[in-house]
Amino acid sequence: MTIADDPIVTERPTEPPRSVKYIVLIVGAVLLSIPFGILDINSAARGAVYGIIAYGLLLLLGVASRPTERSGLIDLSALVVAGAVGLKLYIIPIAARTTVITWRLSLRASVGWLLFGLVVGWVVYRNRKGTNPSAIILIGLAFAGAAFLALQAGTDVGYLESISNRAIKRGEFQNIEQVFHVWVGLIALGIGLAVATSFALGNAVVISLTVSAVFTMLAFNKIDFSVFEMISRSTQVSLLVEKLWPPDFTWSKSIGQPETFVLWEPFVETLRIAVVGATTGVILAVPLAFSASRMTTPNATVYWFAKSTMNLIRTIPDLFWGILFAAAVGFGSPFPGALAMIMFSVAIMGKLLSETIDAIDPGPLEAARSTGASHWQMVKSAAFPQVVPHYVAYALYIFELNVRASVILGFIGAGGIGRLLDERRNFFQWDQVMAIVLVIFVTVILIESVSIWVRRRIV
Amino acid sequence: MIEFKNASVVYPNGFKALEGVSLTIEDGEFVVVVGLSGAGKSTLLRAINGFVPVVEGSCNVNGQEVVGAKPAELRALRSDVGMIFQTFNLVNRSTVMNNVLMGRLAAVPRWKSMFGVWPAEDKELALRALERVGIVEKAYVRATNLSGGQQQRVGIARALAQEPKVILADEPVASLDPVTSHIVMRDLKKINEDLGITTLINLHFLDLARQYGQRLVGLRDGKLVYDGNINDVDDAIFRQIYGRAITPDDMLQDA
Amino acid sequence: MTVPDLAPDAVGDTERPVEPEWPKRLRWILILVIGLPYIWGLLGLELSWGALGRAPGQIWGLMGGLLPPDWSDIAESFNKLLESIYVAWIASIIGAFFSFPLGFMAATNMAPNWMTGPVRALLSGIRAFPELVLAIVLIPAFGLGPFTGVLAIGIHSIGTLGKLTSEVIEGVDPGPIEAIKATGGTRFQAMRFGVVPQAMPNILAYWLYRFEINIRASAVLGMIGAGGIGAEIVGRLRFRDDWPKAGAALIITIVVVLIIDAISAGIRRRIIAGHPGTGPVSRTLGTIVGDITPPVIEIQEA
Repeated sequence: MTIADDPIVTERPTEPPRSVKYIVLIVGAVLLSIPFGILDINSAARGAVYGIIAYGLLLLLGVASRPTERSGLIDLSALVVAGAVGLKLYIIPIAARTTVITWRLSLRASVGWLLFGLVVGWVVYRNRKGTNPSAIILIGLAFAGAAFLALQAGTDVGYLESISNRAIKRGEFQNIEQVFHVWVGLIALGIGLAVATSFALGNAVVISLTVSAVFTMLAFNKIDFSVFEMISRSTQVSLLVEKLWPPDFTWSKSIGQPETFVLWEPFVETLRIAVVGATTGVILAVPLAFSASRMTTPNATVYWFAKSTMNLIRTIPDLFWGILFAAAVGFGSPFPGALAMIMFSVAIMGKLLSETIDAIDPGPLEAARSTGASHWQMVKSAAFPQVVPHYVAYALYIFELNVRASVILGFIGAGGIGRLLDERRNFFQWDQVMAIVLVIFVTVILIESVSIWVRRRIV
Repeated sequence: MIEFKNASVVYPNGFKALEGVSLTIEDGEFVVVVGLSGAGKSTLLRAINGFVPVVEGSCNVNGQEVVGAKPAELRALRSDVGMIFQTFNLVNRSTVMNNVLMGRLAAVPRWKSMFGVWPAEDKELALRALERVGIVEKAYVRATNLSGGQQQRVGIARALAQEPKVILADEPVASLDPVTSHIVMRDLKKINEDLGITTLINLHFLDLARQYGQRLVGLRDGKLVYDGNINDVDDAIFRQIYGRAITPDDMLQDA
Repeated sequence: MTVPDLAPDAVGDTERPVEPEWPKRLRWILILVIGLPYIWGLLGLELSWGALGRAPGQIWGLMGGLLPPDWSDIAESFNKLLESIYVAWIASIIGAFFSFPLGFMAATNMAPNWMTGPVRALLSGIRAFPELVLAIVLIPAFGLGPFTGVLAIGIHSIGTLGKLTSEVIEGVDPGPIEAIKATGGTRFQAMRFGVVPQAMPNILAYWLYRFEINIRASAVLGMIGAGGIGAEIVGRLRFRDDWPKAGAALIITIVVVLIIDAISAGIRRRIIAGHPGTGPVSRTLGTIVGDITPPVIEIQEA
C-alpha cells in the first residue's frame, strides 16, 4: 500500500538538525568526568576538567566532520596566529613567580584569551551562514570568561600547587608558571571550544546544554563537591537522629526559672509579622503591578519607574531588608520584621501579578477603551477581573511564604521565633532546636493546607 | 455624520493600510464594508474611534475631528461610538451584567466605577440593553459560560449601553456559525432601524452583505473602490472589489 | 437621568433575574477575615511611629557607613560570590533532577491516587522547612560549609520544583495524550510524546527561576556561617571599619545577581514564547541562534 499515490510535486524539506546526539555527548562527557575523578585525586575536580576538554574536542570533531563549502586554510592559519599571539599576551603579564592568583592577573589572562576567542568567532561567522556578527563578540567573551572562571576555579582547591609540584618533580616542567599556563590554558581552551562550537551549531538546545554542563563542572570543581564525599557522609545521617531526637519542648528562660513552653511568645510574634507583612505588602503591590505591566501601564515613564522600583526591592534579599529596618527602628522588636516582610511581599506579588497581567486577553481592554473609559477605569473593569483569581491565589501563597520567611528574620534581630532558634543552636541544644523546627513545620503545613483548600474553592 | 476626507493610515512598519479614502456616512445609515483580508476594513473602522491614527487627511465624527484630538476629546468621542468585535472581547470572568456596564464607564463618576458602585439608572440601562438583545435572563451569569452567539449579543448590549450614536462592528459574525450569524445580523439591523443608530459593519461573507446591507463600501488594498446601494451590486462589482472571481468560500451558505 | 427605552417591545417578554446577594456578603466576610487578624497583628508589633519617623535618618546613616565602598578586597568578595552562585547552581541541578520524576508522580492526571497522595505529602513536607532551618538541622551531621548549603537548598528546591512541575503537568492539554493512547501508545509513550513536549518549556523556566531564587538563598545561608557571600558580608558588617568593604561586596552582589536575573529572564521568556522577546537581552540571545527568526509584526486586519 502506498500512502501517496500521486507523484509528489512539492520538494520535501530537509530534516532540521536534531539535538539528541549532542545531548548524549554532553551527558557522556559529564559522566566520563566521574571515573577520571576516581583515578586521579578522589575528587570530581580534575575529572570535571577532563570532561570539559573532552567535550570541547568531541564537539569540534563533530562539526569538523561535516562537509563545508570553503577551504579552511585561511581559517586555520588565522587560528594559529591568533593562538600564538594570545598565548604570548597571556604569558607576559604573569612574570612573578607566584601561585597566588590575583584579581588583576585573572583579568589579564582573560584578555589574552579574548583575542583568540574573537578569531574563533570570526571563523565561525565566516563558515556558518546566517550567523549574526554579534556572535563573534559573544564567542570572544566566552573564551575570556572561560579563562577567568578557570583561574578562579583552579585557585581554591589548592590543587594547582599539588600538581605543579609533582609535574616539576617529574621534570616535565621547569617552574610553576609553566604548569599554571598549561593548566589554566587547557581548561579555558576546553570551555571556549565547547561554547564556540555550540554557538557555531546555532542550536539553542546545544548552546544551553553546553553552557550548563561547563558551569556544572566548574561548580563541582570549585566547591569540591563529589559523589564520593556524598556517599561517605551519608553515614553521618544516623548522627542527626541521635542528636535531634527526641525533641525537647520545654526549657527554662533563664537559670533558676521553671521549664516552660518558652517558644510560644516568639511564635505568636512570628505569626503577627507574617499577617501584617503579607496583607500590607499584597495591597501595596496592586498599583505597582498594574503600572509595571506593558498591558496596563499608563505611560512609559510610569512603567519604567514602577519596574525599576520593583526590581530594586526584589534584588535586595528579605534578610537585608530586615537588617536595614532593624538598624533603622531598633533591634529585637518585631516591627522591623514586619517592615521587611512588607518589602518581601511587595516584591513577589509585584512580579507575579505584573507577569500575569502581561498575559491577559487584550480584547476586553480594547473594548473598554472603545467605550471611552479612562485609563484606570479600563484597568479596573477590564484587566482586574481577569487577574482576580490569580491575585487571591498569589496572596495566599505569599502569606505562606511570609510565615516561612519571618522565621528567618529572628536570626538578624528582627523579632520572632528565629531568634530563639539561633540562640538554641549556639548552645548546641539540638533537641530544643528540633522542637522549634517541629513547631514551625506543623504551623507551615497547617497554613498551607488551609490556603490550598481556599485556593481550590476560589479558582 | 462621519466624514473621511482623503484619509490615509500608515502602520509603524510602513504598511499603507488606508490610502486617500474619502467617504461620508449620514446619520442612521446601515453601511456594510467588504474587501479581502488586509484590504483595510478594520483600519477604516478603527480610524473612526481613533484606535489607529490617521496620518494624512481628516476624519470627522459628529463634528469632532479625530485627527489630533486630545485624549479627553477622544474619550468623549469614543463614548458616543460603540464597537463590536470579532472575538467579542468580553471579560470572561466577570458577569454579563458587569460586562454590559462597561459601556457606562465614560458616563459614571470615576471613583464610583473604581469601587464597582453603579447608579440604579445605569443598571436599568444595562438590563434594557440585555433585553434588547434577548438575553436578560443571563444577566448574572459569568460571560465564559455563554455560547459564542450569546457572547456576541452581550458585546452588542455593551455597545448599546453606551447609548451610542454610531456602532462599529468589526467582523461581528466571523467567529459564529451560520444560524447565530443571522440572529446577530438581524439584531444589528433591527437596532439600526428602531433606534436610528448609524451602523458600520465589516463583513467577509457576500451573501450576508447582500441580505442585510443598505449601502455597500468596497475596499481594495486600502483604497475605496466601490460605494453605492447594495441593490446595484452584482457579481462583477464584487469581482472588482475582490480582484478575483467569487468562490463558495466567500459565502456563508455553501451554495 | 431618564433611562431611554432601548427595547420598547422586548420589555417584559422575559422575566429579569434577581441580582444575587452573595457577592456583597462575600465582600463583608472578606473584610472581616482579613481585617480582624490584621488588627490583631498590628497590636502586637510594638509599632512605634517615632522610630519609623527616625528610620530614614538611621538608614541614611547606615548607607553612609557603607559608602563610599572600599574596593581593595573585591577579588576575595567576588570569589565568595562565585561560591554562592556555584552552590545555588548545584542545588538547582539536584532540585531539577529529583523533582522531575516526583512531579510526574504527584500529578493527578499522570499517577494513580495512592501514589499522588504520599508524594504530595512528601513534597509539601519538604517545602515546610525554610532553607535556613533545614541547614541548621543538617549542621550536626554535615558541619558548616558549602556542602551543607548545597544539601539544604537542593532539598528545598526538590519540594518547590516538584510541586510546580506537577502543576504544569496537570495543566497540559489532555487531547494529545488521548490521541497517543488512541493510536495504541503506552502510558509512558503518552508521557514522553504527549506531556513532556507540552510541559517542558514551563518546567525549564521554573528551573531557571529556581536558580535565581537559590542564588539569594545561598547568599542568605552565609548568615549562619555556611560560606559564600553572605558570610562575607555579615562578617564585615560586624566591624564598623569594615563597612565600606561590605558596601563593595553588596554592590557587586547586587550587580551580578541583577545580570544573572536579566539573562535568566530573557531565556525564560524565550523558552516559553518559543521565539526571542523584544527586550535587549532576548534580542542578544536571539542573534546567537540563527535558526529562529523573530515573528514579523502582523497588521491587525480581519
